[in-house]
Amino acid sequence: MTIGFIQDALFSAIAAIGFASISNPPRAIYGSCALTAAIGHSCRYLLMSDAWCGMHIIPASTIAAFLIGTLAVLLAPRIKCPAEACFSPALLPMIPGVYAYRTVKALLLCLFQHEEVAFNHYLYLLMSNGLTCMFIILGMVVGATIPMFLFKKISFQATR
Amino acid sequence: MVTTTSMMNCDPSPEANEVKNFLAEYAAILLGCGATCIRIEKNLRRMAEAFGMYVGTTIMPTYILLSIRTRNEAFSYCSIERPKKGGINFNLNTQLSKLSWEVADGKLTFCEARQRLDEIAHSPHANRWVVLLLVALANASFCRLFGGDGKSMAVVFVATLCGFLLRQEMLRHSIDLRFVVFCSAFLSSVIGATGHIFDWGATPDVALATSVLYLIPGVPYINAVSDMLDGHYICSFSRFMNAVILTFCLSLGLCCGLLVMEQSWF
Repeated sequence: MTIGFIQDALFSAIAAIGFASISNPPRAIYGSCALTAAIGHSCRYLLMSDAWCGMHIIPASTIAAFLIGTLAVLLAPRIKCPAEACFSPALLPMIPGVYAYRTVKALLLCLFQHEEVAFNHYLYLLMSNGLTCMFIILGMVVGATIPMFLFKKISFQATR
Repeated sequence: MVTTTSMMNCDPSPEANEVKNFLAEYAAILLGCGATCIRIEKNLRRMAEAFGMYVGTTIMPTYILLSIRTRNEAFSYCSIERPKKGGINFNLNTQLSKLSWEVADGKLTFCEARQRLDEIAHSPHANRWVVLLLVALANASFCRLFGGDGKSMAVVFVATLCGFLLRQEMLRHSIDLRFVVFCSAFLSSVIGATGHIFDWGATPDVALATSVLYLIPGVPYINAVSDMLDGHYICSFSRFMNAVILTFCLSLGLCCGLLVMEQSWF
């Protein structure tokens, strides 16, 4: 449990740094980006683990994303960077990649089926994975963006 | 009297026309580097006020409309700019936001601000080889987060390395981004599927699923929601559609990759 928690934090930090580097951020941002990603992702891990809350992945992602957004807004004035540059890469490790992959796979399988029972099964897989994936992303993005609008004063004066 | 062209034809107390040119270029760069609408509007208003003028903006997906008028309503100018497309660039976003505050706080004159804008627009990108390595490492650790084992991580690392290199090279030749995403997703999924074929590791499915994830347009999705919360629905919808189309190209590339590799589940 503890090892899983630490691993989760470490790997999400590496992922955040790598994905941040695609969008050419200022150097100062890497540290806080890794920190927010690690805290956010391990928070989701705790919320979802059965020993703690055993929460469903959609509300857990939303709460974790809200935490990431709030942290990013608070850290932004210290590193003198816009808040969105800090939390966008930090959110990426939470993208439900496996659900997205299963959706695409189910779609392909569904298209090439001729029998009704099998078709319905793959259609069910397509819809359940697709809906979960969509709502995780929606919850994540909305959760992370709300703090920026709640603390407009801080988030838009960060680069002053 | 004829004045010499010192400091690039720059007047310390600028006329509305010059301010308009400056703000239009600023807005075009800021929109092109993937800033949200609320940031563009706030930055522009802040700087216009420092120059003693009012600015009105309409931000549309493919152009930005500016209208500037002086406080005494003597002059008013309009300008339509197309965004300077250069991909998402947080460094530009940060530098330009800093510039707007420096102007607003009176630390920079108009001439200096114009010079700074020029410098910022030509600021260099990060080293592409470092970025390539970091992205590959990031995607490999992403694989770990989804429960992949060491061998799957290695497969994902190689798949990302090749796919991202292809993306960089194709973008350098300014090929359409949608086609680039399709090709990169195809290449990465073909390499990602090798785990399945040669039975490497216990989690080949996770490796295949993760191998294309570095192509997900995360920032456009986030910007779309930010614009939606701010009430810029048209811009929000356009950013969202843009991201959806890129995601669709990614899925198409993945599907073609899977079809070519003839996975066991067909």
